[in-house]
Amino acid sequence: MTSTNGLICFTNCLLPLEDGSLVRKDLWIDERRGVVLDAQRTFFSKKQRPAREIDMQGNIVSPGFLDIQINGAYGFDFSVYESEEAYREGLNTVSEKIVETGVTSLVPTLITQDKALYPTILPLLRPFTHPQGATLLGWHAEGPFLQLAKRGAHAPAFLRSAPEGFASFEAVYGASNLAIAEDWLMEGNAVGVRIITAAPEIDGVMDAVSALGERGIVYSIGHSIATTDIATEAVRRGARLITHLFNAMPLLHHRDPSIIGLLGASPHLVSSFTPLAPSSPASPVRPAHASARTKTKAQSEAFDEHDTPPQTPLLAAVHAAAKVPRLGLHLEKGQVADMAFQRPYYELIVDGIHSHPNSVRLAYNAYPEGCILITDAMKILDPHLKDGVHEWRDGKRFVKEGVKLYLEGTDTLAGSVVTLDTCVRNFSRFTGCSLGEAIKCATVNPAKCLGIENSKGTLRPGADADLVVLSRRGDVLSTWIRGKEVWKKS
Amino acid sequence: MRLIIRDDPTAVGDYIANYITKRINDFKPTEKKPFVLGLPTGSSPIPTYKALIKLVKDGKLSFKNVVTFNMDEYVGLPQDHSESYHTFMFREFFSHVDINPDNVNILDGNVHDLVGECKRYEAKIKSYGGIELFLGGIGEDGHIAFNEPGSSLASRTRIKTLAYDTILANARFFNNDIDAVPRMALTVGVATVLEAREVVVVVTGQRKSLALSKAIEEGVNHLWTLSALQMHPWALIVVDEDATAELHVKTVKYFKSIERVQDEVEQRHAALRAKGDPEGNDPVGSME
Repeated sequence: MTSTNGLICFTNCLLPLEDGSLVRKDLWIDERRGVVLDAQRTFFSKKQRPAREIDMQGNIVSPGFLDIQINGAYGFDFSVYESEEAYREGLNTVSEKIVETGVTSLVPTLITQDKALYPTILPLLRPFTHPQGATLLGWHAEGPFLQLAKRGAHAPAFLRSAPEGFASFEAVYGASNLAIAEDWLMEGNAVGVRIITAAPEIDGVMDAVSALGERGIVYSIGHSIATTDIATEAVRRGARLITHLFNAMPLLHHRDPSIIGLLGASPHLVSSFTPLAPSSPASPVRPAHASARTKTKAQSEAFDEHDTPPQTPLLAAVHAAAKVPRLGLHLEKGQVADMAFQRPYYELIVDGIHSHPNSVRLAYNAYPEGCILITDAMKILDPHLKDGVHEWRDGKRFVKEGVKLYLEGTDTLAGSVVTLDTCVRNFSRFTGCSLGEAIKCATVNPAKCLGIENSKGTLRPGADADLVVLSRRGDVLSTWIRGKEVWKKS
Repeated sequence: MRLIIRDDPTAVGDYIANYITKRINDFKPTEKKPFVLGLPTGSSPIPTYKALIKLVKDGKLSFKNVVTFNMDEYVGLPQDHSESYHTFMFREFFSHVDINPDNVNILDGNVHDLVGECKRYEAKIKSYGGIELFLGGIGEDGHIAFNEPGSSLASRTRIKTLAYDTILANARFFNNDIDAVPRMALTVGVATVLEAREVVVVVTGQRKSLALSKAIEEGVNHLWTLSALQMHPWALIVVDEDATAELHVKTVKYFKSIERVQDEVEQRHAALRAKGDPEGNDPVGSME
């Protein structure tokens, strides 16, 4: 059933606002243009009102979820290339099926590859809109500029440093794949780079951070053992994100809280970073103790099976004598002194395994505005997959138990298979926050991180009418892509 | 004049909504001969709007062939500002009922030629043959629309400077910043309201009780512009118990007694209509 004038009014529903509240309000969309309308302007200026009204029976009409880190789903792995045809078909499959989990936009994530493979895969991950499926927003390259000691499932042989700074990034990803922001923010964008995860302590990475930022690329800190100083400097230079917080990074140490500590970044601190050229932790020399334990076993990309390297971080506090200027004090309760920089967004995998509920709540309470829910799911993500033993690859098999995946015959976790709608519900339970606030972490926050909140992740006038209808318990009832219902719970 | 007293604002809203529904349905409006309704903003009419919305959703009333004219709008406030009367009307009423946007008229306080806008508004009302029923509310100082104390009782749609009282009262909607409250508004005049064939005014709450007393127990006075309603042949004021606090017991008793008589007369008219007697189509009017 369509509307005679192309306008639809969702009524008797709750809308999640950008501040995390859920309010009883109608939503007007234009199903032909596939966008959210400014209802009042449509009424008074365009002199139109929707010919079709849909009673949502008190359910929630939310912007569709964004998953900015996902390795694969429904049997397809974004990091495995067989042929162009198979790859495109895989993207199509994921796009069409993932909408059942409430996801309407995703950033396919490429784990560390053989350098030769990037020029083949990256052009295939250009932004891609599917009339019946989720939008692929571009790519998230996780690696190869990662810390060996925190590599997770990334292949050690492919890890590298960036001695030439940004030029090294261009050498790996291809200069044409790292275009200037204006070129890919526009509609019909040709280039798909969105996010690059790299360890800031790796030789040359720090020098590339500002160049990435200038191009509108989100530089994300991850798979790293950066000290507080280094992590802070990376943020000062433009790092906008932390890749799967708590995983593949040093534990929170109170004397040097490292990357996790960025969530509590103190206004008192002004970075005193001095380049630490020679120690180049990317070279396999230093963390030999870590690689010694490496076994060839299946792992979650994010799950850290290695020993945490020296808790007093690698690059010890060389700045002890640095002078901290005296900041003025203020007398206003509730006001927080100006920060030297904006704290980065951070990704959380809220499957109850990759981060304990307490940790999730701790992070969220420290910095709610920066919280982004991700699945970091492996290709076996498929809510229809039954519990039991399943074939994987290279003759290995895994055992699925709910959202837990084990390698058969072991207790080794084989990765995340949690869906984003489950993460949203978990997050609300784990933190005690409202469903609206949890939705915000899967919609507005990731969209803002990518700078696309005017078209995705919000109900702003003119934004794409990518919607997910949720029950008041957070279950997905239907999913809409640009004004058309593409999936409905049966 | 008739005064209807109900227990609380919700009951007042229900009474007025049912009354308007009856008037519109009896009028049998068509596209060619629409029902022309004047509408107010403010907190007092909200229960009426809520009740009207429910009647529309229940299928007992339609605004398809109703043309509306709003009383007033601030000057210089963007239409989509959260406190503009465009925003209020859309949020509280128009978005929820089946009214045709082409049939909605609200003064535009952002045009260059404000005087011209007021003249056009008056002319447009006349082009529909005048307003059938004007619904209104009042301020604590007895103002109707933005016709502040001292307004001419013969005034028509025009630019009006807001009284200091009104600016203070509205500051709460503008982060308590007095400087952010618009200083001017466009408003229909007292005469514009009085020209409507019927005027219905909602007055609720103790804070409005003095204004109600001044308007109906004393003489016609431009310092309480609602009092001009005493000159109108077909006026109805619907109030809650709180709003009667300053009235004489005698006044309250008198109006309660005529409500019963009015009911009888209306029943008689309905019976005449049913028999096809043309007298039954005449407005019932008030009982004086």
